[in-house]
Amino acid sequence: MSRFKCSCSRRDFLQKGLYGIGVGAALPLLVGRTSAALAAQAVTGTSMETSPERILVVVELSGGNDGLNTVVPYGNDEYYRVRPNLGIPESQVLKIEDGYGFHPALVGFERLYQEGNMAVVHGCGYDNPSLSHFSSMGYWHTGVPNGGETLGWVGRLADGAYDHDAQGNRIVNIGTRQSLAVRSRHHSPLVFNDPRTFRREGADSEKDAIGAMSADGERQNATLKFLSATAQNAAESSDFVRQASAAYQTPIDYGIGGLSRQLRQISALIHADMPTRLYYVAYQGNSFDTHVHQADPHARLLAYSADAIRGFTEDLKRIGRSKDVAVMVFTEFGRRVEENGSLGTDHGTATPMFIIGDHVKGGLYGEHPSLTMLDDGNLIKTTDFRRVYATMIKEWLKFDDADGVLKGSFNPIGAFV
Amino acid sequence: MSRFNLSSYKCRRPISAFSVSVAIVIVGCLLTPSSVLVGQQLNGARSEEWVDDLSSIIAADWNYQTAAHLLERGGFGATPEEIERITAMTPEAAIDWLVDYSDSPDTAPAYDLSPIWDLGMDPFPKSRAEAVRRARDTGSSMGVSILPEGESRRLQPVVNKFFYGLRSNAVETQRLATWWGERMLVSQRPLEEKMTLFWHGHFATGNNKVRDARMVYQQNEMLRAHATGNFSDLLHGILRDPAMLVYLDNGENVKGHPNENFGRELLELFTLGVGNYTEQDIREGSRAFTGWTNDVLEFKFDSAQHDFDPKTFLGQTGPFDGEDIIKIILQQPAAAEFIVSKLYRFFVREDISVGVRRNLAATFRDADYEVKSVLRRIFMSRDFYSSESYATQVKSPVHLVISTYKKLGLVELPTIPDFNRLTANLGQTLFNPPNVAGWAGGRTWVTPATLLQRGNLFRSVLYPDTDGFWAPDRVVPGIYRQVEERLAQGMNITAATQEGDAESSQLADRDEDYNTRYGGYMGYVMAFEKLHPIPRRVAELDMVTLLADAGSTTVEGVVDHLIQRFLRILPSASDRMVLVDFLRDELGTDQVISSTPQTEVALRALLYLILSTPEYQLA
Repeated sequence: MSRFKCSCSRRDFLQKGLYGIGVGAALPLLVGRTSAALAAQAVTGTSMETSPERILVVVELSGGNDGLNTVVPYGNDEYYRVRPNLGIPESQVLKIEDGYGFHPALVGFERLYQEGNMAVVHGCGYDNPSLSHFSSMGYWHTGVPNGGETLGWVGRLADGAYDHDAQGNRIVNIGTRQSLAVRSRHHSPLVFNDPRTFRREGADSEKDAIGAMSADGERQNATLKFLSATAQNAAESSDFVRQASAAYQTPIDYGIGGLSRQLRQISALIHADMPTRLYYVAYQGNSFDTHVHQADPHARLLAYSADAIRGFTEDLKRIGRSKDVAVMVFTEFGRRVEENGSLGTDHGTATPMFIIGDHVKGGLYGEHPSLTMLDDGNLIKTTDFRRVYATMIKEWLKFDDADGVLKGSFNPIGAFV
Repeated sequence: MSRFNLSSYKCRRPISAFSVSVAIVIVGCLLTPSSVLVGQQLNGARSEEWVDDLSSIIAADWNYQTAAHLLERGGFGATPEEIERITAMTPEAAIDWLVDYSDSPDTAPAYDLSPIWDLGMDPFPKSRAEAVRRARDTGSSMGVSILPEGESRRLQPVVNKFFYGLRSNAVETQRLATWWGERMLVSQRPLEEKMTLFWHGHFATGNNKVRDARMVYQQNEMLRAHATGNFSDLLHGILRDPAMLVYLDNGENVKGHPNENFGRELLELFTLGVGNYTEQDIREGSRAFTGWTNDVLEFKFDSAQHDFDPKTFLGQTGPFDGEDIIKIILQQPAAAEFIVSKLYRFFVREDISVGVRRNLAATFRDADYEVKSVLRRIFMSRDFYSSESYATQVKSPVHLVISTYKKLGLVELPTIPDFNRLTANLGQTLFNPPNVAGWAGGRTWVTPATLLQRGNLFRSVLYPDTDGFWAPDRVVPGIYRQVEERLAQGMNITAATQEGDAESSQLADRDEDYNTRYGGYMGYVMAFEKLHPIPRRVAELDMVTLLADAGSTTVEGVVDHLIQRFLRILPSASDRMVLVDFLRDELGTDQVISSTPQTEVALRALLYLILSTPEYQLA
C-alpha cells in the first residue's frame, strides 16, 4: 500500500481552499434572529421584572484585600501603632471624611467618592469568621456562611428574579473559571475569558456536523449531560459576544491589568444590549493575598482596581448607560490588624465593601470596627455582608424576595436614591 | 512508512476481550453491522450494583474496556496496542504492573537545566522595589553595579537584571513543563507521572511566586521519587522543600512574628482539611515551623529564628518543632480520610461515600501511610469500574492533550503548537497552579468558552501553523514586541516604551532612575541568550496509514475505529451517522482505499469532529 505523507500546513489548506470560510476577516457581522430577539428582550424584560434595565456588576478582589490600608483610619493613632511599617502616612492619604481616607493609589475611587457616586460600607463580615481563603470565599460566594449551600447567591438571585425560560444569558461571568457565586439551578451562566477565541473553529461542513451532534439529547451519563448543556450554551451565545466585543470601540482609558479588560468587555456587552442583568468578574489567583512585602504590590492592585472601575463608570456615561448599572466590590476577608514580621499581613476578618453607581447615595456607611476591641487580633465585623447583598437585590434590582435569595432576613443599608 | 506502525494491531484482537452481551468489535477484520453498535455502551460489564463496592474484580470482569479505563485513569490513556497488552494479563497482574512500576525501565529523558543563574542572583530579591532599594543602598544588586553618577538611568542595569531573573526562570519553567509533558507521553511508568501530577496539584506550588526553576525542578523530582511511596516521607520532603518554603513565605516565619501562611495550608490543604483543627492550632503549629527556611536550594534550620517554647497543638503540649507537628498530624484519623478522599476524587469520581472513605482510610493507616496500598485497592475495586465511575470524569487539560497524542500513537511530544500554551488556554499551566489549593478540577475545567477551545485547539495540532508560530522561549511577547520594533526604528528608550495614560498606573511606574518597560524588554533579550531552546516539531500524523494498518477500509469502518480509539463512551446512533455522512461527503465514496492528500485531509477533519464532541471530554 502506498503511503502519503501530508505536511498539512495551514497555508497548504488555505491554498487548497479546504479550510472553509470559518476564518478570515471578511466574515460579515451577522446578527442572527436569536441575537435580535435577545436584544429586544433586554429592553422589554420579562413579566417578572419591574426594572429590566438595571444591571449589577460584582467585582471580586480575590485573596483577602487589606481593608485597613484601603480605607485608611488615619485619624486613629492605634492604626499607626499596629502598622508601624505598613501604615499609610496621613500626608499621603486621600482624605474623605471622619478621619478616613483612601490609599494614595485609589485616585479613581476618590473621584467617584467626591462625585457622590460611591458608598463605602465599613467593617463587613459575618459571625464566626473563617480565616481560610477557600472557606471564607465560599461563604461570600454562597451568601450562606457555615451553611454548606451549593448554589451561589448571584445564581439564586437569577433563579428568583428572572424567568427560567428567558432567552439569552441572565448571568455572565468573565474569567477562565466559573465562580461558585454564579452557580444557579435554572440559569446557565455564560463564562468566557477572551471573546476573540470564544468560537467554534472550522469549515462550515465541520461546524454543521458538530452542531448536528450536539443537538442530540439522550444522555445517561450525568457528566455528559452537563457537557452537552454547556456546549449548547456556547453555541447559542458565542457569536453574539464575539461580534459585540469586536464592534466595540471606546476612547476611555481603563488602565492596565485584567480587571480593566474585563470591565471593558462588560461595557461592550451592555452597549450591544446583551440581555444580561448580572455580571461577575474576579481577580485571577489570590492576587490580594499579601503576606509579605505588601506595600508595592498592594498599591499596584488598588491602582488597577480603581482605574478600571473609574474607567468603566466613565465609559458607561459615554454610552448613556451609567444610570442602569451599579457595581459592588468585595473580598473574602480583610487582613490581621497588626502587620506581621515580613512587612505583610496575615488573614483577617472584617473589611469594607464598595457600591458604585449614579443612583448611589455616596458616603460612609456603618461603623468602623474598633482597632482595640479585637477578636484574637482580628476586627469584629459591624455590618453583615449580606445586608449589602440585600441592598443590591432590593434597593437596586428591585427584587423584593431578598430573604428568599439570601435564606435569611437582612436589612438593606439604604444606599440608593 | 509511518514510524508508528500499528500493523500488529490488525486482526489480532481476541473476541473474548469484549463483553459477550454486546458485539462491539469495531475494527480489524471483523466488522460488525453498525446497527448493533449503535447506542450500546462500550462495555456491558460495568454495573450500577458495583457502586461503592470495594471488593475486587475477578478475571471474568476484565476486558478491553476495563483495561482501557485503568490506563485512562492510572495514566494518560493508551493506544489500542497498549490496552490489548494489559487486557491479556489478569487484572492483578495488570494492576501490579501499573502500581509497582519500579520494575519498568525509566526510559524518559533526563532534564538539563539552562545555565541562567550566576552567583550574584542568590538569593534573588523579592521584588523590583527591593532590588532597587538594595542597589541604592549598596551600589549594586544581583551582582550588577549601578552606573556612575551623571549617567542617565543609573539603575537600569539592576532593573534589567531583575527582569532577566524573572523572565529566564519563567521561560525555563516552561521548558521544564515541556520536558514533563514529554515524560507523560513516553514514560513506561504511566502511574508515576500521573501521581506526580496529583501531588503537584495537592502540594500546589507556582513558579510565578517561587521565581526559581531550579527549585521547581527539585520539587518535581522529589514528588516523583515519593509518588507512590509513604505519605509521611512525602510530607517531610515537602515541608523542607525550598520551593514550598518560598511559595508559602516560611522564610518569613520567625520567632515572635510567626507568618501563618505555611502553617495554615499545611492543615487545611495538605493534611487534615477544614473542620479538623482550630485557629489556635494554626497559630501554634506555625510557631513550630519558625526558622524552617532555605538557603537557596537547601533546607536550612535557623535556630536563632526558631521558637523553642512549648506549643499546644491538636491537644498535645510540648516544645514542638516541625517534625513533631507532622507526627501529631499523622496521629489524627482525619489525615488518612482527607488524603484518600482526594485520591479518590482524582482517580475515581467527584464524591466519595462515607463508607468508602472510612474503608480506604483504614487501609491507608494499616499500611502505615503507604500510598500504593490505597491505589491498589482502588484500582482493583468494583467501584472503580462501576457505572458511576466509568467515563464520568472531565479530563484535565494536561490529560486531554497528552492522551490525544498518546492515542494518535505519537512517540515524541509535538512542540508546534506549544504544549504549555495549549494547556494554559484551557486553564492549566504546569508549575503555575491558580493558587495553593491547586486546580479545582472536575466540572470546573469546563465553561462554555473552554469547551469550544477544547475542540479548537486540536486544529493547531492537525493543521500546524509553522509560519505563524512564535516560540515563547525565543520571541518577546505582546507589548514588548512593540518596544522592540520601536527601538529597531531608532526611537529612544522613552519614546519606545510609551504606554497608556491611566492616572495612577502612570504614577506607579515612573522613576527617572530607570525605565521599567525597557527593563522588562531587556529581561527577555538577556534571557533568550542564556536559555536552551525548546526543540520545535509538529506532530507526525499519518491518518491514512494509521487506518490502513487498523484494517479500516470503509467509511463506517473508519468512523468506528476512531470512535473506539478515542472515545470511552459511544456516541448516540444519530451522532455516529452524522460522522459517517460527513466522511462520506468529504470523500465522495464509501471506500477509503486511496491515499491521496484529499483522503488525509478528510480523515483529519473527521478526527477533529470526534475530538470536538462532548463525549471526548470524558475520561
